[in-house]
Amino acid sequence: MSASQNVAAAPPTRSKLQKLIWNFHNNPKRELWIAWYTIIVFYNIFGIVFFGITRTQPPPPASLTPREIVEWFADNRMGLLVGFGVIFFMGPIVTASTALIAYSMRRMSVSPAFAHTYLILYSLAAVPGMLLTCIVLVVGAMRPDRDPQLMATLYDMGFLAFSGTMGIFLIGSVIWAVAILLDKNNILPKWFGYFNVCNALTEVVVATCCIYKEGPFAWDGEIAFYINLVVFGIYTGCFITYLKAMIEKEDPQVDYLPNKV
Amino acid sequence: MNNTARYEDFKSRSELDSGEAKYPGQAAMWALVMIEAMTFSAYFVVYTIYYKLNPEAFLRSQAELSLGFGVFNTVILLTSSLSIALCVFHSREGNIRTALRYCLLTVAGGLLFSALKIYEWSVEIGKGFTFSSDEFFSYYYFFTGMHLLHVLVGFIALGVVYYQLINPSRRDQEIIESGATFWHMVDFLWVIIFALLYVMR
Repeated sequence: MSASQNVAAAPPTRSKLQKLIWNFHNNPKRELWIAWYTIIVFYNIFGIVFFGITRTQPPPPASLTPREIVEWFADNRMGLLVGFGVIFFMGPIVTASTALIAYSMRRMSVSPAFAHTYLILYSLAAVPGMLLTCIVLVVGAMRPDRDPQLMATLYDMGFLAFSGTMGIFLIGSVIWAVAILLDKNNILPKWFGYFNVCNALTEVVVATCCIYKEGPFAWDGEIAFYINLVVFGIYTGCFITYLKAMIEKEDPQVDYLPNKV
Repeated sequence: MNNTARYEDFKSRSELDSGEAKYPGQAAMWALVMIEAMTFSAYFVVYTIYYKLNPEAFLRSQAELSLGFGVFNTVILLTSSLSIALCVFHSREGNIRTALRYCLLTVAGGLLFSALKIYEWSVEIGKGFTFSSDEFFSYYYFFTGMHLLHVLVGFIALGVVYYQLINPSRRDQEIIESGATFWHMVDFLWVIIFALLYVMR
């Protein structure tokens, strides 16, 4: 295997750029590293667009009147167009995250059905969970002269699509949790498997935003949004860290094929 | 792998374990208990703050709850907690048949609890109190619903315990204890929810 010969050559230590170029040509795990860095790029773009440019996170109040919603669209018009324009171009790179998580399950001693289910589920989830919100809110921003009632519908639809589709993430977390707990190859730590269960249970809480427009159970409420945001933030930080550890631990000569026990 | 070998193996790879075994079950399960405790504490803090903002309305709705249901639920769950502890004890001693019986008793306790909870909900809904009736009842259904969801996950944990006990080849004390730990957590969360919803004035 040519990869194994390349491992023997030491990387140059003079500059970071040289190291990067060397790794790009010679690192036998470069595909995995590219996938991992793509996740970092995605979450940065996601954070900047949703929290910064469009100001759709933390979400604006669910209790706004149609008149206020029209104002909200007018105030955030440029942000929505530019920010979600970036998402329309770059959002699909989120697949790197799904792919690497599915890959982690392929390395486990469990059936490949876990990875396949996860892959299909999250591929579909990106449409209602992220893209639909962007499309609907962009439509609102592009047509500011429409009837306020229609604008209110777009606003509700955008944020309910974003927050209300958590069932997909619930099932996804459960699939990953079961795979980690059954795995005998110790690809990911068991406690993280249990953390997936906890994350899945907090996703249920979001359902309350379909009933309440104000208070802690609304889509901008303490229980349905802020506590979940903290849990999900820690969860995301953990899985990015553990995927990195997984790639570092992987020995390309031994573990090259997925599912090798 | 026998228990000692498996434990050594576990000790060598667990990041959370710092040497001696001071707790039963997997360290990973205790991590879950900690995470759940923190998440629920956050919910409890939100509830308490909103309670303090409008105590009269909360007290008025609270009076509609039947304390009897709450007490009975607590007694059932505490009993089931005792029986899963006895299950772990007997499985350690090697009395597998007795351990299995206590495991089934715990499942029965959980089923009785769930049935009673659903009946209590139907009584409250019959009186016209639903999730969206008022603030207190939204917390009531939220906490009891989230808790019942944990009870359902607990049934999976008890199923794993049963499965481990019944198969001599895969019997693993550590996993049995982890399942029991989860059940104790379900019990512990209920005791706090009971205090907050039914008793706190």
